Amino acid sequence: MMNLLELKNVSKHFGGLQVVNDLSLSVAPGEILSLIGPNGAGKSTVLNLITGLYQPDEGDILLNGQSLLGREIHQITRLGIARTFQNLRLFLNMSVIENVMSAAYSRTHANLFEIILRTPSFRREEARIREMAQEKLAFFGERLKGYRLDQPAYSLSYANRRRLEIARAMMTEPKLLLLDEPAAGMNPNESLEVTELIGQLRDEAGLTIILIEHDMTVVGGISDRVIALDHGVKIAEGTFEQVATDENVVEAYLGRRQENK
Amino acid sequence: MSKDKIGKDEWVASYQQRSAGIVGWRGALAGISERLPTWAWFALVIAIGVAIPMLTSNTYIIRVAGNIALMATLAMGLNLVVGYAGLLDLGFVAFYGVGGYVYAYLSSDFSGVHLPTGLTLIIVIGIGLLFGLLLGLPSLRLVGDYLAIVTLGFGQIFVQLMTSMTRVNLPGHERPVNLTGGPNGIVNLDPFSILGFTANTVTDYYYVLLAVMVIILIVGFHLNNSRIGRAWRSLREDELAADAMGMPTRQLKLLAFALGAAIAGLSGALFAAWQGSVFPGNFDIALLINVYAIIVLGGLGSLPGVIVGSVLMIAIPEILRNVELAGQLFYLLIIVTLIATLRPRWQSVALLVSVIVFGLILKPILVALSPASFAALEATSSGFVDTIRNWLAIPIEAKAVGNLAFGALILMILLVTRIKDMRVRFIALIPTLYLLSFVWETRLSQEPSITRLLFVGVLLIVLMIYRPNGLLGERRVEVV
Amino acid sequence: MDAFLAQLPQQIINGLTLGAVYALIALGYSMVYGVLQMLNFAHGDVYMIGAFIGYGVMVALIPEGAPLITPVFIIILMLLVAMLGCGLLGVAIEQFAYRPLRNSPRLAPLISALGVSFFLQNAVQLTLTAEFRNYQTELLIPPGAGFDFGDTRLPMTRALVIVITIILMIVLQYLVRRTKLGKAMRAVAIDREAAAMMGVDVDRVIIATFFIGSALAGAAGVLTGIVFTRVWHFMGFTAGLKGFTAAVVGGIGNIPGAMLGGFLLGMTESFAVGFISPTYRDVIAFVVLVIVLLVRPRGLLGARIPQKV
Repeated sequence: MMNLLELKNVSKHFGGLQVVNDLSLSVAPGEILSLIGPNGAGKSTVLNLITGLYQPDEGDILLNGQSLLGREIHQITRLGIARTFQNLRLFLNMSVIENVMSAAYSRTHANLFEIILRTPSFRREEARIREMAQEKLAFFGERLKGYRLDQPAYSLSYANRRRLEIARAMMTEPKLLLLDEPAAGMNPNESLEVTELIGQLRDEAGLTIILIEHDMTVVGGISDRVIALDHGVKIAEGTFEQVATDENVVEAYLGRRQENK
Repeated sequence: MSKDKIGKDEWVASYQQRSAGIVGWRGALAGISERLPTWAWFALVIAIGVAIPMLTSNTYIIRVAGNIALMATLAMGLNLVVGYAGLLDLGFVAFYGVGGYVYAYLSSDFSGVHLPTGLTLIIVIGIGLLFGLLLGLPSLRLVGDYLAIVTLGFGQIFVQLMTSMTRVNLPGHERPVNLTGGPNGIVNLDPFSILGFTANTVTDYYYVLLAVMVIILIVGFHLNNSRIGRAWRSLREDELAADAMGMPTRQLKLLAFALGAAIAGLSGALFAAWQGSVFPGNFDIALLINVYAIIVLGGLGSLPGVIVGSVLMIAIPEILRNVELAGQLFYLLIIVTLIATLRPRWQSVALLVSVIVFGLILKPILVALSPASFAALEATSSGFVDTIRNWLAIPIEAKAVGNLAFGALILMILLVTRIKDMRVRFIALIPTLYLLSFVWETRLSQEPSITRLLFVGVLLIVLMIYRPNGLLGERRVEVV
Repeated sequence: MDAFLAQLPQQIINGLTLGAVYALIALGYSMVYGVLQMLNFAHGDVYMIGAFIGYGVMVALIPEGAPLITPVFIIILMLLVAMLGCGLLGVAIEQFAYRPLRNSPRLAPLISALGVSFFLQNAVQLTLTAEFRNYQTELLIPPGAGFDFGDTRLPMTRALVIVITIILMIVLQYLVRRTKLGKAMRAVAIDREAAAMMGVDVDRVIIATFFIGSALAGAAGVLTGIVFTRVWHFMGFTAGLKGFTAAVVGGIGNIPGAMLGGFLLGMTESFAVGFISPTYRDVIAFVVLVIVLLVRPRGLLGARIPQKV
């Protein structure tokens, strides 16, 4: 079966710092792939490379066999890749529902004249994306429903902001969803919930997911496959158990064991 | 470091509290405004607008109302660019100028071209779109402040070209050609005439301006609540995230620039038709600051705010043209400000009494010290303003002393805001208020046009400090 | 071509003079931007006030056309008083119009700065009217004085402007590179919060920055008065725009960049005046700005900072 996403020998450096070094990886449709590694291992850079924020110095990135190089960020999103941000980048002064609706831009068509004249086709489209946005928000149960819809995004709690960002990303109707530390700053209960949610996203919404996460209970609970990075190099790949016990990975996290006592 | 820096969590925590905290008449007003549907607001604005010429035949008032409608239209264009898309365009007035000059070219003997107004307007809008696109191109590469300065430069270039292109060597012409009329502008423009209706009177123009304003208001409202409006606002909030959510940021910026420019061009053409002429000075920096003041005062991104801002920024200076009335309003403003800011309330009364006593004591002392300076002073009649006039020790050399007092007043005001101790501040306020009245009587009331601009400057500063989101702007956060 | 070569040295001198003034204004813009990341739109008006303070000192010391003290001291006094006055004005503007807005939306300080600019212009117009005032340079520096290099003449006034500018720039470089205050400034420019945590008194650094930047603008105002003699209440607007242009061309926030940008802009303008047409000098200056920015969006010496996502 063909891979949905494929990175071929991708390298990226900033100044003298090699952030990603000759990295190759592939993701099959419907798979949940986790990227782990210590801080500064280059995980977020990989996401930024995939979504077009950075261009790789070397190598190629393919979505369904089609190269993503040289495309603009929004074009890549249009092709079916959506993401969340590690540091949360919501549209804080817009309402919750507007945050989600805004992400339907590339899936809507109303032109200037239809908008200014409020034609029936525009109204239909508007109603459709409103309904769709509510549907995406309903994924999170009662939390982002009802009166919350019209509140500004900045009034949400941290965990709800993370949820809102996922809903917004889903609104772009992606095939591949990139989640950058979705459980950061959450308590164990909330983390567990996120884990279940990621499973649902795959099973119910049919998404393929690349996940960056430091919380190993989340990673272990959901990943089909795990790749460990250190200094931009892939140091281990396999199931969670294989990777977690890999000597290189342990070393990367904890440091080299003192040999000479 | 400053103590009012706020993190995300504090915002969340204090949000509910603050929204619950708005009570009293302001809360009631907010409640009413929320319950009224949007179309009711539109209807209200239109009704008031249409009613004005029916209630008064005073052409002066209608002219001012027309000016308000015109400025509101222009400000809505700017609001689109700055308020929605978040692009700081300081060359905006140039588009207004382009509209004005294009109208002038197509409807005057200067060029010998007399097109029908309808066609002219279509051309004006087209050229506005084109210029907006051209000027928008640098915006694709420039961020924030850089964009501001480049556009400001363009605005200046426009005025300068219009002023100086009076002797241009064109191929095919033996002598240099006057392309713009220079500082003398282009005059005797054709009146606005469309679909058999020709605007002749002030009232005619007023209705034209009102109609255009309402149309642009509706356009702005529809745009705001659409995929494009949402995308613009996303862009303003976080360009990178907008891009990552599939919004073509370049196209959207260009679109905002072009539409804003088209609206400005349209307003400029209406202005030219109404005034019957265009001059480079009509499109200078003072106008730019006024339009910015309008949208900032009303609240960036707020459509009702644009109208409120226009009414305040145009009507207040007009009211202040009447020196007598301006004086009364000036003192009233001081008293209201004192009552609103001083706690407990009796302090404001005590302060006012103290100031008057201070003045009454000071006057004989000054007169005794230098009788020659105050020789011509005599009470002429009674009345509120006259009492004040007699209460202040105004010397013969009022202008020179007033200028010095103006400098002293600025220092005093700055000083007073720095004093923390309430009692010391109370005492310092006495001579400050005395100086304020003195400067008003000797200088400010004598130079109404400069005073208006001074007032705009102070208003912008004070407004930014106390209500950075304007009167009707939504509460904004910028998380640090 | 011969006419071009004959004019060239003279245009270079004119360009250096103009550039010196622009560079001094640009430095203030750039320093403030470096520390606060805000456009101090009122900076041009501080320069205007500097020109008027210099004028005031001159009028006070030359009553009825006869200097009270040696002209050299008058020039020094004009510069010092204007620099001190403008420095204090700059600090006052920061304290009252910008400080309360330090954590407001980005547009707020900019609008506030427009307000300050409007206020200063009209305050001067109110008290001193809108008339032009003339520096009596001929009483300070003999009109004929100057240096001859072959056919080219460097008038004393222009030499003075260039020399004083260079001295001020050397002092500034020393201040920024060698002193504790300079180090603190650079630290605040890089990361305000981190600097605060490392014990830098950020407020003091900001005050110092405004003082120094505004003092340089004051000096620029006096120098403008000495060379071009005419001063009026609206002179700050165009000059501020040019100063900012120079700062941006050089790379805003970058002190050597501001100097480079100032001289470059001065040269461009003087060449435009000399070889193309005086009418379009400002137009050409802005075209240069746009071209530079389109090629190098961060200016000539500005560093490109990678965006952290």
